[in-house]
Amino acid sequence: MEIEFASLDDSLARFTLSGASTAFANAIRRAMIGEVPTLAIEDVRIYDNTSALFDEMLAHRLGLIPIKTDLATYTTQDKCSCGGAGCPGCTSTYTLSVEGPKTVTSSDLIPQDPNAAPVYENIPIVKLTKGQKLVIEARAILNTGRTHAKWQPTLVCGYKNYPVITVSDACDACGNCVDECPRDILEVKGKQVVVADGKLPECSLCRLCERACLASGIGDEPAIKISAEKDRFIFVVESDGSLPAKEIMNRALTYIREQADELEKQLGELSGDDRK
Amino acid sequence: MIPVRCFTCGKPISTAWEEYKARREKGEDPKKILDDLNISRYCCRRMLLTHKEIIDELNPYQ
Ligand code: SF4
Ligand code: SF4
Ligand SMILES: [Zn+2]
Ligand SMILES: [Zn+2]
Repeated sequence: MEIEFASLDDSLARFTLSGASTAFANAIRRAMIGEVPTLAIEDVRIYDNTSALFDEMLAHRLGLIPIKTDLATYTTQDKCSCGGAGCPGCTSTYTLSVEGPKTVTSSDLIPQDPNAAPVYENIPIVKLTKGQKLVIEARAILNTGRTHAKWQPTLVCGYKNYPVITVSDACDACGNCVDECPRDILEVKGKQVVVADGKLPECSLCRLCERACLASGIGDEPAIKISAEKDRFIFVVESDGSLPAKEIMNRALTYIREQADELEKQLGELSGDDRK
Repeated sequence: MIPVRCFTCGKPISTAWEEYKARREKGEDPKKILDDLNISRYCCRRMLLTHKEIIDELNPYQ
């Protein structure tokens, strides 16, 4: 199994995974979305709210604000030494106190731990007019996307099989497929159609080119054929800013390994084989 | 108020709202503004394109 990065920064990772089954590719995808914990606001105490939005609405908006997460500092509540009561090891608190006229933004949330501040400062929460007031205390906890989508570290997170484009000798370079392709993957070069330089990974496997070729009256078989490599995948992972893309991948892979070890252990116990 | 995130993919698009609104009111083409703001997916683009701000109409009624 091999991972090759096409690009990697904190907010976005593009890579190809080769030599893996579809099941494994999907396991990574699901682990990245649903099993890597992040901080998100869960409990909100509202002391004063004379804004036009209901308390519930405000709490909902607060929950969706992405928060920078340091997984070395925070643990999930069920694993914390406080037993879920809430302590600095599993909970991050924020206070907000604003009087109108002003648009309340995520920068008005004052974090107790400066390392657990909102990722963006300019997320609007509610617009206050003169005389309106908002006083709030909020608690963010660590949890996973499995529980609620607000704890997902990823935005776009998916994969597709690596495309394979083969052009047979029957091709007469009529260019129909070139015009049809919505992603400009193909071009005519000499007497044949070829894949434009470096464009192959962008092919969406939509097969419009095959249909265009058939429509050009070439016969029963199109000269261009689209297929997919069964064991090679192109991944795109986008982070919401709470965790760097690389850490999301690392944590997801660690999670899969832990699950596999656990399964092995339990199977060993069942069969009475205590090699492990 | 503009939703905090895109309903579909979860991208926090609300950060772009103020700039989008200001530039659109000056008559700029929304396509160009959205491209400039790096909002590439159509799920996120429709969040800004179709948003109608009504908080100012609600505010007088308390
Ligand atoms: S499958 Fe679709 S994207 Fe790929 S080359 Fe053909 S028309 Fe273009
Ligand atoms: S449509 Fe078919 S025959 Fe025409 S250029 Fe494309 S592959 Fe060749
Ligand atoms: Zn604790
Ligand atoms: Zn979106």
